[in-house]
Amino acid sequence: MDTLNILLVGFISIVLINNLVFTKFLGICPYLGVSGRIDMAFGMGMAVTFVVTLSGTLTWLIDHMILIPAGLEVTRYVCFILVIAGAVQLVEMYVRKFFPSLYESFGIFLPLITTNCAILGLCLFINLWGIDNLLEAVVLSFGAGIGFTMAICIMAGIRENLNLADVPDCLKGAPITLITAGILTLAFMGFAGMIR
Amino acid sequence: MTKNSETTAGIYKETLLAGLWRENPVFRLLLGMCPTLAVTAAVKPALTMGLSVIFVLLCSNIVVSLMRNLLKPHLRILMFTLTISTFVTIADLFLKAFVPRMSETLGPYVPLIIVNCIIICRAEACASKNSLAVSIIDALGMGVGFTLTLCVLAGIRELLSTGMIFEAKVMPDWFVPWAAMRMPVGAFITLGLLLGLVNVLSRKKA
Amino acid sequence: MYRQEVNHVPKIKYFVQQSWLLIVCSFFFGLLLAIANAAWSPRIEQNRINKLNDLAGRLIPKAKDFVPLDKLGVTIEVKSLKGPKKKVDVYKAVTGDACFGWTFNAVGSGFQDKIELVVAVDKDFKTIAGFDVLASNETPGFGDKIKGDEFRNQFKGKPAAQLELIKSGEAKDNKILVISGATISSEAVIEIINHSISQVKRQMQEKGLLGNDKE
Repeated sequence: MDTLNILLVGFISIVLINNLVFTKFLGICPYLGVSGRIDMAFGMGMAVTFVVTLSGTLTWLIDHMILIPAGLEVTRYVCFILVIAGAVQLVEMYVRKFFPSLYESFGIFLPLITTNCAILGLCLFINLWGIDNLLEAVVLSFGAGIGFTMAICIMAGIRENLNLADVPDCLKGAPITLITAGILTLAFMGFAGMIR
Repeated sequence: MTKNSETTAGIYKETLLAGLWRENPVFRLLLGMCPTLAVTAAVKPALTMGLSVIFVLLCSNIVVSLMRNLLKPHLRILMFTLTISTFVTIADLFLKAFVPRMSETLGPYVPLIIVNCIIICRAEACASKNSLAVSIIDALGMGVGFTLTLCVLAGIRELLSTGMIFEAKVMPDWFVPWAAMRMPVGAFITLGLLLGLVNVLSRKKA
Repeated sequence: MYRQEVNHVPKIKYFVQQSWLLIVCSFFFGLLLAIANAAWSPRIEQNRINKLNDLAGRLIPKAKDFVPLDKLGVTIEVKSLKGPKKKVDVYKAVTGDACFGWTFNAVGSGFQDKIELVVAVDKDFKTIAGFDVLASNETPGFGDKIKGDEFRNQFKGKPAAQLELIKSGEAKDNKILVISGATISSEAVIEIINHSISQVKRQMQEKGLLGNDKE
């Protein structure tokens, strides 16, 4: 029961309180680029969740089973990014072959995600926080993906309405999106201190 | 004008200036947003991050440019990634060894330079197709442009959130600091407004 | 044409043809990393030790060295607020052979993120010498004040027992005045200190490091 408690708390904290986009500034590039429409946003969010869960788990495993025991921590960044790139490549080939309908909905985003700071960022944060069991790493990665999906869908919803509003010319596009993101961050700050 | 651009010196000058304004990586190309928002709470970390990016950009552009004729097309992204991550690791080790406090403040955002789109884009768009000299100048231009942008953003945020720049008091005593500027809110809103400003300025020029 | 060539060339040779650059570069970069690591990692380690000694040194100024308990063959584990037991780094503050106190790290969750403290106590674990914040991410201007001298000085000389937070009045005995506008951050610090002091003290007594005091 204790473990379940920890996992639940960790999940909620990374979705609401330590949300990757709003508090850790990760994944901003796709956030700005793909949040135009809700269906695209959701597709991107799902793709990110899938990749980040996979990468988080894999990198944790590699870190704890190979790098630390062998004292090869200096190659950590190189290994992480290569694992992430390789995993994404394999996943894309696999999905394209066996689940073509799924590929239709989010496959095109997969190559873009490799250079998404959110993935590498999460793997590094898991490392930084000293998570020392696999289950917690998996739950946190999944939670991070869900948090990102939630953030990007909220933004897509707002942007769809913004298109109809009277935004000054110079602020159209990225500027107004950033300002909206700032206000969203302020809103999410209300969740801080929720878990004690 | 055309005659000038044709000479090598002309090309160098064009490339250098492009990185600073016309193709400024943050404001025009909208690349590298993540570190821009994350480390610009104060000018010192912003400067450190900017210098690290210049170092990595330079090294990676040089290496890629030297290798450009040997690269196999379907392995090139892998090569770029390998190169960049090696130099970022070296930069990170250097920061940890010589400026440990700053390294802690920057935290995980230094290794995130690996996935900073600026570096990989420049390697792909410029270094793999141009000579060594042009690649170096492009790296310098982009790097300096990025650093200046970071410092401007950091300057505004630090000034308004603590009344100091580079840890030296600037604002008069009656100024009440805007704490929000140090938090993510301030980052997003300031960058958004600055982008809007840049759009206005560049539209006027055109 | 190209397809036929590939069929005739043995697989290994094709593989090498395509990726020799990758292999050579990996080797070269690996070497570069190894050199950088070998050159700088002693310095990095030294920085880490210096930082701990710096903070701890300001809390127990009489001590010159901080010996980790690991070196004395003792391991202390604290059951963290979340549940699992985690090893705690406890240091003995000494000058030569004389012990002037103990310092240890304590972690807990604050308002925004984790709060990491280094707590110093006197050599009998009876009074708190003070604490310092190693890492925290509290709200600037409010929760941030836990790093400030005003809040921290209150802890000097307080008994190493359960501390209590009060909103106003005189902070005597084991009472600490809360930071106005930063209740949660202040509570977090008190909780971390209370929790870790009681556990570390008990374990130190069990392992016989605290002399004859049986309190």
